[in-house]
Amino acid sequence: MSSGSLASWIILLPLTGFLFSAFSGFLFSNRKAQNRAVSLVAPGVVILSFLFSLFLLPHLSEAPGSRILTPLIPGTSLMQPWIKMGGFQADFTLLLDPLSLLMALIVTGVGGLIHIYAIGYMAEDEEQPRFFTYFNLFIFTMLLLVMGDNFLMMFVGWEGVGLCSYLLIGFWYRDAENAKAGNKAFIVNRIGDLGFSLGIMAAWSYFGTVSFFTPHGHGVMDLARHAGGAVDVMGHLVPGSAITMICLLLFAGAVGKSAQIPLFVWLPDAMAGPTPVSALIHAATMVTAGVVMLTRCSWLFVQSAAALHVIAWVGAITAVLGATVGLVQTDIKKVLAFSTVSQLGYMFIACGVGAFSAGMFHVLTHAFFKGLLFLGAGAVIHSMLGEQDMRKMGGLKKLLPSVWSVMIIGTYTIAGIPLLSGFWSKDAILEAASRSFYGDGTILYLIGLGSAFITAFYMNRLMWKTFYTQPRFNDGELTRKIHSNSDEEISVSQGHGHVHPSPSSMMWPLYALASLSVLAGILLGPTGIFEKFLLPSIAPLSLGNLHQAAEMFPPWAGYLFSSLTAFAGIGAAYYLYQQHIQTGELIPEERKLKNPVYIFLQAKWGFDAFYNLVFLRGGEQIASFFRKVVEEDTIEGAENGITGLVGSLSNLGRQLQTGYVRNYALVMLIGAVALIAGLLARLMH
Amino acid sequence: MVPASNYLILSAVLFTIGVVGVLIRRNPIQIFMCVELMLNAANLSFIALGRHFGQMNGQMYVIFSMAVAAAEVSVGLGIIVAIFRQRQNIDIDVMNQMQK
Repeated sequence: MSSGSLASWIILLPLTGFLFSAFSGFLFSNRKAQNRAVSLVAPGVVILSFLFSLFLLPHLSEAPGSRILTPLIPGTSLMQPWIKMGGFQADFTLLLDPLSLLMALIVTGVGGLIHIYAIGYMAEDEEQPRFFTYFNLFIFTMLLLVMGDNFLMMFVGWEGVGLCSYLLIGFWYRDAENAKAGNKAFIVNRIGDLGFSLGIMAAWSYFGTVSFFTPHGHGVMDLARHAGGAVDVMGHLVPGSAITMICLLLFAGAVGKSAQIPLFVWLPDAMAGPTPVSALIHAATMVTAGVVMLTRCSWLFVQSAAALHVIAWVGAITAVLGATVGLVQTDIKKVLAFSTVSQLGYMFIACGVGAFSAGMFHVLTHAFFKGLLFLGAGAVIHSMLGEQDMRKMGGLKKLLPSVWSVMIIGTYTIAGIPLLSGFWSKDAILEAASRSFYGDGTILYLIGLGSAFITAFYMNRLMWKTFYTQPRFNDGELTRKIHSNSDEEISVSQGHGHVHPSPSSMMWPLYALASLSVLAGILLGPTGIFEKFLLPSIAPLSLGNLHQAAEMFPPWAGYLFSSLTAFAGIGAAYYLYQQHIQTGELIPEERKLKNPVYIFLQAKWGFDAFYNLVFLRGGEQIASFFRKVVEEDTIEGAENGITGLVGSLSNLGRQLQTGYVRNYALVMLIGAVALIAGLLARLMH
Repeated sequence: MVPASNYLILSAVLFTIGVVGVLIRRNPIQIFMCVELMLNAANLSFIALGRHFGQMNGQMYVIFSMAVAAAEVSVGLGIIVAIFRQRQNIDIDVMNQMQK
């Protein structure tokens, strides 16, 4: 099989898995057999895709320019258009380059592990086939997003992952809150997608094509790196302002999908979905789509210093916001959600200073350690009968030692303990930020370092609240739970499950992700393998005549500062929580509610309140204006006026109908006389 | 011989009396009588003109007309009796349900 058609099968396998799960109801009459088949096929196709991607890895460097273009459907021609209307053409072409292969590996690799985890996590769920249907569909659309060779295929994937996200957030739709969270995610994403689609249209109208790369060098990215400035397909120069506009519109899409300010509000609510969904879609893959898109379009972005500057600062502010709001969350998954928002901010800082490969490196390591943290949190929730409130946890280290051991690895990785993967990727970003071409490197660096400190603190706060402090749940209940683990399972009506220690299908993915979190950084980061691998996909800053500022300090000093920050955060958490080991609360509840800083953070910097005020209330006001003034007063007024007019006219006519026979007779008489008079008059003439 | 115009004048007078009677009377029996008067006024002019022109057509039509009038009276009186049975009243002005 050629490497091209192998690439198609990477995408098509999850599609077949999706179709199989979707129609499995017709194939099996027995629900149990159906569940078993689906939970075998769904992870199986993803793992097979992963193996295919792995197999392609060595083939890629042999291809010219490390780039393979191949039709989506094996056996069809590369020139086969998908849509062809007038001058517009979009092909069913897949682009295989280091960036798309890296993402395919992440999506199918981490996705495969999470699929395996989900077998255990969803084992007791009635609607397993539906879950895996959505899950496979997600993998398919996400692969379409990262591997499509034109904006339009990327857009289809982009919307597809949004759809799967919506379906999976509201997976337990019987709870209205979950359905609402799904709606919120979908609607907020629409705002970003509007910008994205406008960006695609702008790219088409300025460049005359929507392809990224074509065999003849007529894709947008081919044209963008034309010597002497970007040109369109006819060879005319594209003005710099147009590139800035395209970049900012595309970035609006990234802001929505990757939960940046001001559109981040959907991600914390998205935690309503099952935990594997949070891990796969809302931590490891989908939310990084924005970073992938920026990297894919790096050839455009490096030519617009203004757009890059906006991206860097949006990322920086988001990183601070996510970290600070994460400090006051009590729901274990929401802490991780805000942590994701904050880490995505880091990735955008990296893109904003032109260090796309550092951003993608963080996408990779983040997929490992955040997936690990979410799955670990899922294991905790699983064992706590669906309880997600950390105020009702504590002391779990003794009860769930294996979960603790992987969670602590995840925590230290995200905190940036030296040699773990989070350390390398975060340091690469901070180093790039300090050398920002705009000259504001010092501020960006300090913001990044400050957020890193807060990150280390809130993650250890999570660990202390969950694992170290005194238990704060009903003792009898959990003891009974723990004792019942090994032999039998106590089925409970609430939540999604039974109480048991997580089954091995849930633990193995955790161990795998933990080892990746530990090893990926040191293998790929300092050795420079990652950067070299990704190089063909990424535009150099010099293309846009931008130059990194001089180093502020030697690399070892950067490492030192990062490590000191991480240790300071962990130490601060240790120092503070050691003193409150009984309650697990640093400040008593009633004093919290009076603290303005706490209120501000609890309100997520007021974004939700602001949106409620401006968009919900404002929208309501506009709607009620249209209902009252336009609808009731104007339109209905006109209608009522017409009916009233007809009514009064017919009232007038009704007066003729007296009901008295003699009146009718009189009228008849008058008529007859008039008739005869008329006839006579004619006879006279 | 009495000229036909005299008969026709009498016929017109009778017809007018009938019309006025129909319009102003409230008792349906009286209205019926006035209707008969109008019919007979027409009959009279038929016969007069028939004789004036020396043709039988006029007399023939009068016989038809009388037969129809007899039938009409019997139906009309039947309706009046039915109405009276139902509402103990045959005042024509009270019977204006159609308007409502």
